[in-house]
Amino acid sequence: MAPSIDSMQTHPSSAQPAAGATGTAMWRCLVVEDDADSARYIADGFRGLGHVAVICREGPEALARASAEAWDLIILDRMLPGGVDGLGILAALRAMGRRTPVLVLSALSALDERVRGLKAGGDDYLAKPFAFSELAARAEALVRRSRPGPEIRVVEVADLRLDLGSRKAERGGRPIALQPREFRLLAFLALHAGQVLTRTMLLEAVWDYQFDPQTNVIDVQVSRLRAKLDAGGGPSLIHTVRGVGYRLAAPASGDGPAQT
Amino acid sequence: MNALRRLWRSAGFRLAAHYALLVGITMLAALAIIYLQTVGVLHQRMARQVSTTAQQLATLLEREGADAVVREIERTLADGRSTDQEMLLLVDAQGHRLAGNLDTLPAPGADGQRQVLRKGRSVRAWLVVRPVAQGHVLVVGSDLSDQQALEELIVSASAAAAFVAMLLLAGGVFVFRQELERSVGAVRRTAARIALGDLRHRVPLSEDDDEFALLEQDVNTMLDRIQSLMDGVRHVSDTIAHELRTPLTRILARLRAADDDDADAGQRRAAIRTAIAELEDLNRVFGKLLQIAEAEAGAQRGRFGAVALHTIADDVVELYGAVAEAQGATVLREPCEALQVRGDRELLAGVAANLLDNALKYGGPACTVRVGTEARDGWGLLTVQDDGPGVPEADRTRIGTRFVRLRPQVGGHGLGLAGVQAVVALHGGRVHYEDAQPGLRVRVELPAAGT
Repeated sequence: MAPSIDSMQTHPSSAQPAAGATGTAMWRCLVVEDDADSARYIADGFRGLGHVAVICREGPEALARASAEAWDLIILDRMLPGGVDGLGILAALRAMGRRTPVLVLSALSALDERVRGLKAGGDDYLAKPFAFSELAARAEALVRRSRPGPEIRVVEVADLRLDLGSRKAERGGRPIALQPREFRLLAFLALHAGQVLTRTMLLEAVWDYQFDPQTNVIDVQVSRLRAKLDAGGGPSLIHTVRGVGYRLAAPASGDGPAQT
Repeated sequence: MNALRRLWRSAGFRLAAHYALLVGITMLAALAIIYLQTVGVLHQRMARQVSTTAQQLATLLEREGADAVVREIERTLADGRSTDQEMLLLVDAQGHRLAGNLDTLPAPGADGQRQVLRKGRSVRAWLVVRPVAQGHVLVVGSDLSDQQALEELIVSASAAAAFVAMLLLAGGVFVFRQELERSVGAVRRTAARIALGDLRHRVPLSEDDDEFALLEQDVNTMLDRIQSLMDGVRHVSDTIAHELRTPLTRILARLRAADDDDADAGQRRAAIRTAIAELEDLNRVFGKLLQIAEAEAGAQRGRFGAVALHTIADDVVELYGAVAEAQGATVLREPCEALQVRGDRELLAGVAANLLDNALKYGGPACTVRVGTEARDGWGLLTVQDDGPGVPEADRTRIGTRFVRLRPQVGGHGLGLAGVQAVVALHGGRVHYEDAQPGLRVRVELPAAGT
């Protein structure tokens, strides 16, 4: 995980229009966070992206609201007032059979804490301080994942076509030779087409590692993939989102994937 | 009571009191044995002697009459053998004294100690008073004054022992306190000075070779270790302060310039962007330092398990494949032995990535890097070797020190290898930097799983 400093001056909604401009449906998000500034920062960020964000500062209230109402996503801080551990709330929620995606936030950055957070039933984990763009990208991925679609065999974005079964990729009918890992990277980007994916998300999903990626490994991997994709001419499909990560989308629209 | 409790709190007093108690018990035991072996045995023998004599005289009287007994008594008292102790008396039925050395007839009673008059003097004696044939009364006894003297001697010896024990207690308190103060005082004085903040003080070593000398050495070893740790901490915090102040000053200067009324929107935007980038960079430095601290604290060891080091090396080589390709470098995976080590997959992947990243950075654009895994006598080896310019021997010891950049023009914070070393140390392994002729070979030794 590459934590980066939040910048209060750069308001997320204005700094990263990319994540919000993808045409996703509005979703409801519960922000369980006792620090007023942090909570407002997160909530305002989500509202700026056109979502509904409700702030909740106390553990018991958070559990009550999380279980009583329908949410698309819960952002849960680990340290809550009165020594309440957010993981306790998470475990209680899971015990009640609630499958709402939960993103655990914590000032404890150790890998250990991450493992504990995920074991307790969290779907993702982010260490403080974080960039809102990282949080928004991960939240987006979680919300989309939680809406299960039909078994996806083929993914198409613009003139790019991926057959996940036979692991073949072609663009405009022209086959693209990809190494297995490159195919995984492309498939991950395509399955989240229109979404911004951060470097750490790519490292986690494609390489299955969580260590701090050195320098620009992921960037170079993505550029190589991009070069292969664009070799036959045609506009680039993989877009760099400055300071955040990458997004695969049709050149003009930025639409989601067409799934068959 | 309070004074006694305070006194008891002194280790010197307690030692002396225990010592005096031991001396007292020893002396009393010795005296008790002497008493039983002398007074007790003497008394028994004497009592037997007395009753035997009484029996003999009674038998004599019955058989041969009073005259024979009178003769026997007079003979016994006149023979000069222990006449001081012997007491004999024969009285007839009318109460007339027939023979013997006692002045009066003691009242009849059980055998035992009594006060009697002998030659006008009252004496303590063991007496047997027997009515015998023809109304006579026979008295046989033994003077107890010798035994009494012996008993008195033993009592006064006991008193002397108690006195000696008290003397030992008093003297011991003084001596032990002096000795303890002499031995522990140096440690206490040093500790007091160190508590005041002067870490350079050490306990002056005494010339003895006793337990206290060992304690002094241990304390000094501990102080050396603490001082070296403190020096390390001071060095690190000095460096951190320096490393962080430079970018902070730069950011502040840029932001002040952007705050100027003359600055246009573009300049402000540029200043904000640079500030964000610099702050993110700083945050990365902090994150890295925290990771190193975490590894050094060793708390993560709890969830170590067997991990396939060769798979991690494969993955990392694959991950860096694009980077190598982009700079025209070649990464070879050799030697490539399968091996399991005990550790954490993410941390070890971080180590491999860091080393490979360095090799590609310092090896030069078209370098060849070899990433190898080998199993050797219970150790797992991870080697990363480049064929670049290498590192001069003099600089090799500085590799891995926080914030040390051997080639500042390459960039980075000088924390990567410090992190590698911390993680390897956490795994109970070692990092060696060797000359690969040409290039640098970094050899990481990790304990293999199951050893």
